Amino acid sequence: MGILEVKQLYKRFGNREVLKGLDMDVPEHSIFGFVGKNGAGKTTTMKIILGLLKPDSGSVTVCGEEVRYGETKTNRNIGFLPDIPEFYGYMNPREYLMLCGEITGLPKEKIKSKSAELLELVGLKDEKRKIGGFSRGMKQRLGIAQALLNEPKLLICDEPTSALDPIGRKEILDILLAAKGNTTIVFSTHILSDVERICDRIAVLHDGKLALCGTISEIKKRRRHNGFIIEFENENEAILFENAKELKQPSISLSRDGNTVSVFLQDHEMDGNFLLNMLSQMHFLPLKFEVMEPTLESMFLEAVR
Amino acid sequence: MKGYLAFLKKEIYEYAKTYKLLIMLSVFAIFGITNPLMAKLLPEILESLMTDGIVITLPEPTAYDAWTQFFKNATQMGLIVMAILFSGVLSSELSKGTLINLLTKGLSRTAVILSKYTCMALVWTASIALCFGLTYVYTLYLFPKDETSNLMFSAFCLWQFGLFLLAVLLFSAALTKSSYGCLLITGIFIVACMIFNIIPSAHKYNPISLASDNMGLIMNSVKASSIYGAVLVSFILSLIFVLLSVIIFKKKQL
Repeated sequence: MGILEVKQLYKRFGNREVLKGLDMDVPEHSIFGFVGKNGAGKTTTMKIILGLLKPDSGSVTVCGEEVRYGETKTNRNIGFLPDIPEFYGYMNPREYLMLCGEITGLPKEKIKSKSAELLELVGLKDEKRKIGGFSRGMKQRLGIAQALLNEPKLLICDEPTSALDPIGRKEILDILLAAKGNTTIVFSTHILSDVERICDRIAVLHDGKLALCGTISEIKKRRRHNGFIIEFENENEAILFENAKELKQPSISLSRDGNTVSVFLQDHEMDGNFLLNMLSQMHFLPLKFEVMEPTLESMFLEAVR
Repeated sequence: MKGYLAFLKKEIYEYAKTYKLLIMLSVFAIFGITNPLMAKLLPEILESLMTDGIVITLPEPTAYDAWTQFFKNATQMGLIVMAILFSGVLSSELSKGTLINLLTKGLSRTAVILSKYTCMALVWTASIALCFGLTYVYTLYLFPKDETSNLMFSAFCLWQFGLFLLAVLLFSAALTKSSYGCLLITGIFIVACMIFNIIPSAHKYNPISLASDNMGLIMNSVKASSIYGAVLVSFILSLIFVLLSVIIFKKKQL
């Protein structure tokens, strides 16, 4: 059973139907990348999971407990980092974490030790300034600290890395990776390289439903084309290879760019060995023989088409 | 309960840190000091302005004049300042999104509304008590011989009206998204109360009487017992409005 289960979720705002029967299952101890175009409904889904928005129909369970709109009971298992975290500008980080801890009902000593530990983790240990003077990246980091304060089983981050500089992004991703051991992370983004870097599972939200869902390696395997890139020593060999009569079949598509030939085998009976045999028969030694990996980007584009 | 106390603490801290408490207290303190002073000095100021030809005889100022100033200032400027200061009570937190964080920490929406009301009530109580205390001491000093009746009860009525106004304000804040909307609804409600007051028999139960009959009470031209109905009605209405705020806020999509 997953730590977070979403079943047949529907939500409409006025005339616009945002979610049309969303199903999602997040297993424990995974980093779940939740991807979709701007306005696809990622934030809406997260707000429904947190009980901040009311779904038109469908159900959400967190740790086996059903989420009810307007109530906050299930939120004790959740840490949430909003897309633009806002805090009370007149407090300093310690005071803010103290407030959060008191609301959660942690004992004072525990809040103190835990906040010191978390501020260290997010690199705000020596920050005495008021939050009002913080930069966006610092607020994002404090956001992670407050989200992890109650040691949540599920950490939900809404686009934690957008609008950050490359260093800030890397740091946030590292912090999330460090948190992985103790918690399950669901994290929405439209930066695919972030997903590739830290997520082990991915779900693509498109048109109100999941267009793609599974572990990244599994999906890549499923989507792997029989595509190969062969780089020759010179253009002549490439031309000779391209025009070989064994390759003149309808199930094989070829394209050449200088001394590089790309081959797509649509026939499932054929694989790379067929090409390797051909190469040895022709006595060609290619400089490079590469199996094409589908990129997340190509998968994403295919999924949302 | 834990959430309520923690959030109440935060609210008080916020009022102190954002100078709202300071503004409220200083406005009411200034009123408190100037009320008796203005009553005492006004005739002299007028006299000094008079030219030789005109003679206006002004009655000697009394404690009544000081208290007239007190109730006029507190019910007009005082309440308006309070309404404006508190009009962003929910909208500022909702528009900035600062509340979302805490709600996702398990803070209940009921606790938010109740602690916000408690804090506003505390600030109002402190402000009006300060103003009343200053006026009282100063009046005693400037007009030692004058006697007033029902003074405590009259001040209590004003305090009660403030609590009622805060409940209306909170209710309007829960209804709308902006602080202007909140002020507008509160204003409409108060005007409605005033219009309602035209009906003579309604006067007895109208909360607005708590803020308009104060001088009558002190001069003994209005009997205390004739206001009891209004006290009860405004108390019950305050409760209802706070309750409605909780219900509305719980239904609000954030």
